[in-house]
Amino acid sequence: MRKIHLMNEEKRDATIALESVKERPGPTSGVPGKKLSFRRYLAATEAGTWTRLSTQAGDVAQALIDADPEIDREVVGKHVGDTQTVFLSAKGEVLHASPSIVDVLFGPDGAERERKPAADVPANTNEKESPVRWTGRRMSKAEVVTKFAFRRSVQIKHVDGLSYDFLYKMAKDLADKGEVALLGAGPKGRDPLIFQENGTPYRGFLEGRVDGPRYKLLLHLSNLELRAPGAAT
Amino acid sequence: MAKPIIVNWGGVQSSFDHEKLDRAKLYGKRQRWILDPHGQRCERAELSRDGTLLIRSGMTAQGYFDEAGAWIPNSQLVGLDAEGKQLKHVPSTLGEPQPLEGPVDAGEILDLAVRSVYVLSPEGLDPKLEAALKDGKVFRFPFCYRGGYDPEIAYLVGNATGYFALVGSPAVSEWCELQTTIADDAGADDDGDELDFEMF
Repeated sequence: MRKIHLMNEEKRDATIALESVKERPGPTSGVPGKKLSFRRYLAATEAGTWTRLSTQAGDVAQALIDADPEIDREVVGKHVGDTQTVFLSAKGEVLHASPSIVDVLFGPDGAERERKPAADVPANTNEKESPVRWTGRRMSKAEVVTKFAFRRSVQIKHVDGLSYDFLYKMAKDLADKGEVALLGAGPKGRDPLIFQENGTPYRGFLEGRVDGPRYKLLLHLSNLELRAPGAAT
Repeated sequence: MAKPIIVNWGGVQSSFDHEKLDRAKLYGKRQRWILDPHGQRCERAELSRDGTLLIRSGMTAQGYFDEAGAWIPNSQLVGLDAEGKQLKHVPSTLGEPQPLEGPVDAGEILDLAVRSVYVLSPEGLDPKLEAALKDGKVFRFPFCYRGGYDPEIAYLVGNATGYFALVGSPAVSEWCELQTTIADDAGADDDGDELDFEMF
């Protein structure tokens, strides 16, 4: 069970459950009446890649037509199962020394802006000292859906009777007003939400729905404003 | 250039050119690079478990195989429902007028698992629709980019910076009741990948 440490507007906090909201299952690809499996397979050996073939002398295109040099019949088609990631040097050789890791930042124009040693960014949604909290900023649903694209939603659920009351009250308050509340992480509640180490930072908008004694508390996550490229913020 | 998105609302057509919107276009992007001892960028590759095969970019493909191990060409594949029955092929909606429904409840978008976001450039926009979008109204229309068996839903929205289409499929959330609590199952602790909160 994934957990989130959440504080309400009255500064009461609790650690509760978090589940991803899944897309309704869609159709699968197949052939009626046939049992198929989806597999990854070897399509070419290194000698059959364009990078290698293009260095050979002669008319490569004609060679491809005449003799299929890109296909090694001994191995092409072989099922590729579990593999281990390795890094090759710029010369294509296996590294025998530890590589260095850097984070490279690019601007919207694609130009490199900054390069710095990579640093791990910890998750911040289940911190004992800094619960995820209401920022005090609320928006109507109509406003929020025209300003942000929500790429993920997670559902917040109770783990016992007390947390049911805690969450139901939140959901009812938001549902009655037709609003969503902006949540923030960190000591001051201003940071974006990061659900796992080095995960994508998201702005979280909490939506509540109630139906009699039942409730839904949905945390909609966005890392993208609805803004035309080049338009002023 | 892709065909335009054409919608029909109240018997009047509006047409939009479209371009995918992503973070890199608005904010830039961050990439984590692995550098070799000479400061040059490394290439990521894979080594088979038995260590006999180094797999570099471009050396693998994916596909469907039958029980006898024969490869099934994509042209033979169709969409199947949960019972294995063949679904009807849906043609691309681009370039073809689609019925625009609405205004719909803005909350509908919150139940959409968004797969793509497009920024739209109006080529011929019904003034009534323009006014409704500028007023924050939300509209819905069928969407299928290339044609296939999994048509999507698109929502047309507007704000001060432009017009947008949010495309995806409905997501499913469930009602919570007092009697139903989440078990603290240690074995189910590893569903983090489903959220795909990966580096960007």
